[in-house]
Amino acid sequence: MKALRLRVRVAASQGVRVDLRGVVPETMCLLEQDAVASFEVGHGNRQVPLGSLFDVLIDDHDAAEPTLTLEGDLRCIDRIGWRMKEGALQVSGDAGDYVGCGMAGGRLTASGNVGDFAASEMSGGQLRIQGNCGDFAAASLPGSIDGMRGGMVVIGGDAGARLADRMRRGTLLVSGNAGDYAASRMVAGTLAIAGTCGAHLAYGMRRGTVLCLGSHPEASSTFAATHHDFRVFWSLLRRHLAAAGGVFAELPATTPARFVGDIAADGKGELLWFE
Amino acid sequence: MPAMHINGVTIDDTFAEAFPMKATRLIITAHTLQWAEHAALSLTGFATSVIACGCEAGIEGRLDASVTPDGRPGISVLVFSMSGKELAKQVERRVGQCVLTCPTTAVFAGLDEGEPIALGKNLRFFGDGWQISKVLGEKRFWRIPVMDGEFVCEETTAVIKCVGGGNLLLLAADTDAALRAAETAVAAIRRLPNVIMPFPGGVVRSGSKIGSRYSPMSPSTNDAFSPSLTPLTRTELTDDVRCVMEIVIDGLSAGDVAAAMRDGIASVVELGPREGALRISAGNYGGKLGPFHFHLHQLATVGGAG
Repeated sequence: MKALRLRVRVAASQGVRVDLRGVVPETMCLLEQDAVASFEVGHGNRQVPLGSLFDVLIDDHDAAEPTLTLEGDLRCIDRIGWRMKEGALQVSGDAGDYVGCGMAGGRLTASGNVGDFAASEMSGGQLRIQGNCGDFAAASLPGSIDGMRGGMVVIGGDAGARLADRMRRGTLLVSGNAGDYAASRMVAGTLAIAGTCGAHLAYGMRRGTVLCLGSHPEASSTFAATHHDFRVFWSLLRRHLAAAGGVFAELPATTPARFVGDIAADGKGELLWFE
Repeated sequence: MPAMHINGVTIDDTFAEAFPMKATRLIITAHTLQWAEHAALSLTGFATSVIACGCEAGIEGRLDASVTPDGRPGISVLVFSMSGKELAKQVERRVGQCVLTCPTTAVFAGLDEGEPIALGKNLRFFGDGWQISKVLGEKRFWRIPVMDGEFVCEETTAVIKCVGGGNLLLLAADTDAALRAAETAVAAIRRLPNVIMPFPGGVVRSGSKIGSRYSPMSPSTNDAFSPSLTPLTRTELTDDVRCVMEIVIDGLSAGDVAAAMRDGIASVVELGPREGALRISAGNYGGKLGPFHFHLHQLATVGGAG
């Protein structure tokens, strides 16, 4: 299996958005170098060969798994890792929108900041974003019912508004702050935010777990405190989150405060924080 | 091959015949070890033999809080049955009646590999709509609201192929000696993982043969080893044997059953004929029924634990 490196040529995109759907490790690493270079990708309203925007380099002819590395100024490049299923995709530098969108497996690591809709509708695999991400991370795409529905996402920096909107399953960790309407309309799943949360946290949440470690708004009037012993669940959750490392590695053993809601929706979700 | 004598104990040139079964391991945790034990004893109650109990179950061991999924003290339980379907039925009933009901408990799958059967998958309906599913990594858990807080259980547990019916027959001069030999063997085998002895105290006094004069299918008393019948039947006993006890062993693999039988033999041999058994034998059906044969002479010569 090949390990490929795609280096974006300076100003090759001329500020026009590039749609990188189809350029995923499990497909590209099976192709010959020429075939990779002639693979057509969207550039504005045209289709152009990948080789006209990127230098295609082969790092290794005998890698253990399909491995793809993207490097350079990738801010105009959208849909990196779109629906990828396996292998490793490494993004060096800032990237555009839809990073890891619809991802079903494999590992995607982005070293910089990424745009909107990162990890949206993701169903499996691991996604790590070391910088910040825009709005609608792990959310649903417009018109879809479910947002993220599996896998694990770790955002090292801050997340924008509507984080985890309509999220259904999986684990999403934010080491920095989250914008307004985090976990809005959340269906289920686990969201943990280490930094501060914006306004209208968990608005319309139906099920799922939101853990806030930093400052957060008061629980809204459609959430109510419960006072029961849930140490078993907390112990399972904190052990699961510890795998992500960082601030989540050593969560306290004492149980946090728990609020159920949004009672205006289904009311089976929970907000957890330490008072 | 003639009979073997070690430390004055005779070991018959025979073998124990064992059968393939299906098994799962459950980890029951609770606020204290005592409550985990209450649940485990209840779950493994009336589970001595598949003949009428549906399954054979026993406590495999105690688990320190550092090794359980939720960091509380726990008990590891093994449940064996003749088919995966029957095992699933027994697990669901027993966990539903004996663990769900027991204060502070939680229950988790104790095996990673194998065919999944329902653990909390159907028990969740006890929650009447208030139950909450939680997927953490690859595993789904159910949180069922109950009066002491919530009952947490894993959705499924794995079932593997295993070996049931390994056995030792301990032939002694009297009841005291037979019990001493049996208790010593049980204590030695309890130290091992992956095995249980499903009978009361690990010992069965009503060893059986297949078939009966009343119904060809039913098991009936093992007359060849019954000391009251020595003048009346084709006995396996000599005049000095007045009491026989059997230890039945179910294990997750043939190797586990062999290790348990080996340690059991070694402990009885060490006890000697004066205190314990005069002779060690084993039950088989001529090798026609079960594919696993555990030859006593081989196990005795390999030695004790390790």
